[in-house]
Amino acid sequence: MNANNRRIVSFKIFPWQRTLQEWLSVDAPVLIYMAKSTIAALLALWIAMTLNMPDPRTAIFTVFIVMQPQSGLVFSKSYYRVLGTIAGVGMSLLIMGMFAQDPIWFIGFFALWIGFTTAMGLKYRNFQFYGFVLAGYTLCIVALPVIETPLQVFDIAVSRFSEVIIGIMCATVVSDVIFPRRLLDSLITSEQERFHNVLSTLSDTDSIFAAFDEANPTISRFSSGVVGLNATRVNSSFESGAGQKERQHYAHLNQEYMNLSTTFYSLKSIVHAMKEQERKEVLNALESLYSPVVSVLKTLPDTLLAPEDLNRIIRELLTVKNTIQVQLELDHKRLYESTHSAGEDEFISAAYLIIRLVNELHNHCATYLSLLKHRLSGNASREISRVIQFSTHTDNLLVALAALRGSGVLLLTMVFWLWSGWPYATLTITLAVVIGLLLGTMPSPLDGVKDFFKGAVIALIVAAVYDFYIIPEYTSDLLTLSLLITPVLAFIGWMTTRPKLAIFTFGFVFMFMNQLALDPYYKIEPTKFMESSLAALIGILFGGLAYILVNFWSCSLTQKRVAKILRTQIVRLCDGALNVERSALESTGRDLIQQFSTQGRLNMRSSRLVYEWLLSTLEIGRAILTIRRSIQRLYSHYLHPSVDNAMELIKSYFETPSVSGRDQLLSTLQKSLQELHSSPMPTEIGQRKRVEILIVELTLIRTVLINSETFPLLSEDSCN
Amino acid sequence: MQLDITLFGIQMPTLLLIFVMSAVVQILLDRMMSDAGIYNHVWHPGLFRTAVFVCLFAIPCLLIYR
Repeated sequence: MNANNRRIVSFKIFPWQRTLQEWLSVDAPVLIYMAKSTIAALLALWIAMTLNMPDPRTAIFTVFIVMQPQSGLVFSKSYYRVLGTIAGVGMSLLIMGMFAQDPIWFIGFFALWIGFTTAMGLKYRNFQFYGFVLAGYTLCIVALPVIETPLQVFDIAVSRFSEVIIGIMCATVVSDVIFPRRLLDSLITSEQERFHNVLSTLSDTDSIFAAFDEANPTISRFSSGVVGLNATRVNSSFESGAGQKERQHYAHLNQEYMNLSTTFYSLKSIVHAMKEQERKEVLNALESLYSPVVSVLKTLPDTLLAPEDLNRIIRELLTVKNTIQVQLELDHKRLYESTHSAGEDEFISAAYLIIRLVNELHNHCATYLSLLKHRLSGNASREISRVIQFSTHTDNLLVALAALRGSGVLLLTMVFWLWSGWPYATLTITLAVVIGLLLGTMPSPLDGVKDFFKGAVIALIVAAVYDFYIIPEYTSDLLTLSLLITPVLAFIGWMTTRPKLAIFTFGFVFMFMNQLALDPYYKIEPTKFMESSLAALIGILFGGLAYILVNFWSCSLTQKRVAKILRTQIVRLCDGALNVERSALESTGRDLIQQFSTQGRLNMRSSRLVYEWLLSTLEIGRAILTIRRSIQRLYSHYLHPSVDNAMELIKSYFETPSVSGRDQLLSTLQKSLQELHSSPMPTEIGQRKRVEILIVELTLIRTVLINSETFPLLSEDSCN
Repeated sequence: MQLDITLFGIQMPTLLLIFVMSAVVQILLDRMMSDAGIYNHVWHPGLFRTAVFVCLFAIPCLLIYR
């Protein structure tokens, strides 16, 4: 009886089993999360009230800010929240100590700090960004309310720090102790999914040799999630149980996956070009070269892979590699036996890419097997000693823009404060700064501001009901207060699990916790409530205004910017240091694209184009490095001046791209290839290998350049 | 030991300082235990971690409040 039949029988015996399973996997985690966040919030409230903290709201607010379904995220966010608070509190003490009497210096220094934190927030990834946001707005919260009485700043600083710590402790302990959900588990699941995805994509001949199809997302499926999975890996390091070795395995898998996807894409685009020229014979030869890989991968089971299966695959891939090499030489002789003809370059490049693909797949499988073994028995089969850094790209223009916006909105609200002389305007400043800092990395910040505003308004209504009706009427002690606010806390917990409501929830929590009467003793006045609400709402409007004013980014500008950065990268590879790792090249490029596709308002078509440019750049960049390394190790009498000449031309073409430059470069590449082909090959194996590498890589560069029509010439405007 | 200490001219509860120091020790200890694979042999790693921290934090606290 197979597994399916068995399942059907068991469903007949227990008719509710499927419903129960679905409930357990979909609804139960939400309910558990709601319970966890409510318990953590009430615990924080209780501790803060018992310790007589002046502002228990901060503790309970902190709980909701750092609370996430998985423990790893909570730890990571908490860690950076503590660091951010320390920096913010320290800066408040400094700024109040130095400039409390001098408005000009005070405002100037303040604006510099906010600009700095906004810029840094954009520069750093993951929750490090959040630490900088906090460092920025803690200054507003600590320094502004005591501007009239500067000596109180010490009390506020210490109590604020203590309250944040209480909130963080409650959130982390509750999330790690009660029904913990580990981030590492989701990392394992996504890695498994991705690995299966790779194997199933590569086991299908059509995924490479079928025509490009806009509707068929093979390419995007094969390339997604690199940056996201890296973030998950970084955050999971805060959890218990993930040893350093396991995390290194994940880093390597991510890196190998990037390499694989670059090779896959390059191969596919060459095949695509051949398809357009209708070169059936060459395509058939390539397909038969690739067919051994397909037949190996097809034997894999659909279910979870066992180490034995993987071991077999790895062995077979090694044999396949040798078979392909032999077959390639035979095909090469058969197809181009007489003379060097036009299509030969493309054939060599494609065949070389197939071999590289098999190599990289072999590596990827070996690392995955090692991870499986490590998880099952603690003995990794692969010694991973090299630490891979995930390099990121920071665009100075984007950072400068963010800093300008952060400082600008602060100065604007400061002017509003000075002009109105309104004591509550400090709240306006805080809110505007929070909006300016926090929503800057979102794809569409203006929509975010709208959501935040809606959440804030609804929170004000709920808070008003609590402040003026429920709390004075029904609460007598901490227990009744806790019972009465529990429904709202649970509701906030539920909203946090809905990704669509993220910013709305943040607005709601921010305003609700700001206005709720959670003081050690009841002291809410209607006028104060109204005035502070109004000030906060004005602050949100100012924040939104900043996004409208400092926002001249557009699709075509992004394209130009990305193209320029990619071009500069190639130019730098042509004459810069040789010790650039391929991993750094790949991760920087992907991070760059991720950053621009969230910030740069690209449409579908242009983001696909930009992604293609990235992959061309990666391919050319890698080839340039390999060529330069080979030239360095080649004896001088095997060197051809035309190769150096070609490298110079590549550099100047990417510095100032032009149609004539492209033609000249292509013909020079052709010429140097012909020279390499016609001159006698070195007899020594090492030297011979290097000359072969030169030929293959130069051919590859030439093929990529011919195929890449829109980069770096930007001949197509896809933004309209 | 006193219940309040003065750091750079700011008076703050000693508990806060003890907390920060035990947090640092906890982070180092956690790294070591995680690399040594101790958490694989523990029934509830989260609870174990919390318990270790409570010990680290409570011992100096009891000493100053004695």
